[in-house]
Amino acid sequence: MPAIFSLDPLFLGDAGNLEILAIVLAKVVIAFAGLMVSVMLMVWWERKFISDLQNRIGPNRAGPFGILQTLADGIKLFFKEDLIPDQSDRFVFKLAPYLSLVPAFLVFAVVPIGGDFSNGGDGLISVFGNDTYVQLADPHIGILFVLAMSSIAVYGIMLAGWSSGSKYPLLGSVRASAQMVSYEAALGLALVAVLLKTGSLSTTTIVREQAGEGPEFLGLFPMPDWNVIVLGVVPFIIFFIATTAELNRPPFDLVEAEQEIVGGFHTEYSSIRFALFFLAEFMNVVTMSAVMVTLFFGGPAGPDLGVLPAALWGFVWFFAKLFVFLCLFIGLRGTLPRLRYDQLMDLGWKLLIPLALGWVLFLATLDVFSDRGWTSGGERLVVTGVFLAAMLVFAGLLMVAISNGKKARERDGEEVFG
Amino acid sequence: MGQYLPILALLILAVLFAAISFVASGLFAPKRTTSAKRAPYECGVEPAQDTPDRFPVRFFLVAMIFIVFDIEIIFLYPWATIFRQLGLFGLVAMFIFAFAVFESFVYLIGNGALDWGPVKRAVRRELVDPGRTANTTIRRVGAEGRMEFDDVDTRTATPGEAA
Amino acid sequence: MVAQNIFFGIMAAIMIWAALRVVTTKNVVHAALWLVIVLAGVAGQFLLLGAEFVGVTQILVYIGAVVVLFLFGIMLTRASMGEDENVNLPNRIVPATVGVLLFGLMAFATIDYWRDAELPKDGSPTTVEAVSDSIFSDFIVPFEATSVLLLAALIGAIVVARKE
Repeated sequence: MPAIFSLDPLFLGDAGNLEILAIVLAKVVIAFAGLMVSVMLMVWWERKFISDLQNRIGPNRAGPFGILQTLADGIKLFFKEDLIPDQSDRFVFKLAPYLSLVPAFLVFAVVPIGGDFSNGGDGLISVFGNDTYVQLADPHIGILFVLAMSSIAVYGIMLAGWSSGSKYPLLGSVRASAQMVSYEAALGLALVAVLLKTGSLSTTTIVREQAGEGPEFLGLFPMPDWNVIVLGVVPFIIFFIATTAELNRPPFDLVEAEQEIVGGFHTEYSSIRFALFFLAEFMNVVTMSAVMVTLFFGGPAGPDLGVLPAALWGFVWFFAKLFVFLCLFIGLRGTLPRLRYDQLMDLGWKLLIPLALGWVLFLATLDVFSDRGWTSGGERLVVTGVFLAAMLVFAGLLMVAISNGKKARERDGEEVFG
Repeated sequence: MGQYLPILALLILAVLFAAISFVASGLFAPKRTTSAKRAPYECGVEPAQDTPDRFPVRFFLVAMIFIVFDIEIIFLYPWATIFRQLGLFGLVAMFIFAFAVFESFVYLIGNGALDWGPVKRAVRRELVDPGRTANTTIRRVGAEGRMEFDDVDTRTATPGEAA
Repeated sequence: MVAQNIFFGIMAAIMIWAALRVVTTKNVVHAALWLVIVLAGVAGQFLLLGAEFVGVTQILVYIGAVVVLFLFGIMLTRASMGEDENVNLPNRIVPATVGVLLFGLMAFATIDYWRDAELPKDGSPTTVEAVSDSIFSDFIVPFEATSVLLLAALIGAIVVARKE
């Protein structure tokens, strides 16, 4: 049964077994510690990389190459005065950091970070005779769990801003939540494209489907069977842009546009409360990069090149891919100017969402017709042509609506939806 | 249900981590609070304006259209898992659904509810009159007298290019 | 099975308490947060019953979208904080009666429909494929009707939001 197959076999046995419980707890502790360390390194690497881009030296005092800088900063923040503003809503003010940090941790639970998927391997590893996946949990709904957590993360930011009782945090948080909500729709639609191919929400299955060899590159050599190639690059690009916006990373960092609204939602936070928001922010960068690697770049799947034991190659591939994404995020921060709020909303609603929806329907149409026997090149061309013609009509409709909207606004003035 | 055990454990660990951090910070951090420190942040000056009382309805409409798309996406997930078995029937059903959602989206955009840029462009009036008097050449200090915004042209301006 | 029942009971108790706080608290944002707890409890109960997809939908749609809409609604009418004496209506009898009647109706419908139905004893979860199967066979008409409902809701929102 494929549905059961994707579940972690660790839990199919006796649930009350102490050995299994011990393995679970060990995995949880390792995941927790690994996340903390990776965030520490990520913050350091971001500062180092950005300094290089800007011809600076960057942190170089704490530890070799300044690698302990983040740790030093974290420890310092414990000794800083913790202020709660007079006008704040004290309970919600204290609650908000939890709502930001906890979802950031939880997302990582469904990401497969290792295991041997080469040569049809199923990614299982054996711990003291118990087979298990190298990920914390593999529920049926897998990837939807990521979306659910990112929808809870909105609360942390929204309530932090509201409860501060101060105007810049409030402005920042309303901006942020509207932005996150907008791009969550694009994120969800791009995700549907992945599901069309894998037919399962489980992250392990998604990775397993991407292992092995895919289509040939111009008939020369086989490319990997990664979703980024198989689905056309469009869903990945949409997912990547939407993720950047969800993470409030540059160029979408209007949430903390310091020239306009000081620090945004965490302006009033100091000491360790601020540190936890900071931690959550960078943890989200790491986990969402990991999610993108899982969905579009085959996660830990990759060839077994020998030298190392087969089970270790999963980790190597996963972390190599993850590192590329982290560098990409830092590079974006170092090179792109910030968007304006109207540009941000226009990009999300008027381009990404319709495009993502159209692409999903396009992929599905192609697949459904090829299942009905329309497999030759000419027949596929006909399907594509008819579909494109229909989409052009809808795109035209959207264009007319956009220009009508602009005209209506110029006629009635800004105050209509003020 | 066993699948959720590690997630629950990680949740407890994360909450504990945050709680212990707060307790530790409470032990180590100095407490020399003053009313100035606890006042709303305003870059070091006295706050001139209070927190805005209300936000544009536009934000509400964004959340509204998000619900619509969220529900569409939620239906797309189960459809995507078995759309090959459903075949043409499922495809047509989804096209009808997507069309209805798209229609409401187009209606929203056609009303200009998702346009955010400024529409009005402030036209600067000449600061100095040809007839110069002491009142015009020596202007008052501060915001008033520097520039006047009451002369606003709504027709020539296009959204997004105003200063 | 026993542990499941105990957890179900604990969650139900928390939900009832949170639901009471929703209607008794005088701070609107706090009321919205208590509502989040009620909805999270619903999601948790679905998970306990093996309906994972419905549970996660509950989080995505209700917590992630509907209550966010409420919060936006609150912020665009009064973003300032503090308690609001007007929140508690002087005429509480009518809404309370409507609430009780609605609860009775829903309870009757649920009990009448399910009667002696039992959950699978082995605790095997309902898969997304099974949910999808029933949406696109038995419930295809409600599914398409949902889209029209959403359209109507959105047009209503715009008409209400426009200043004229």
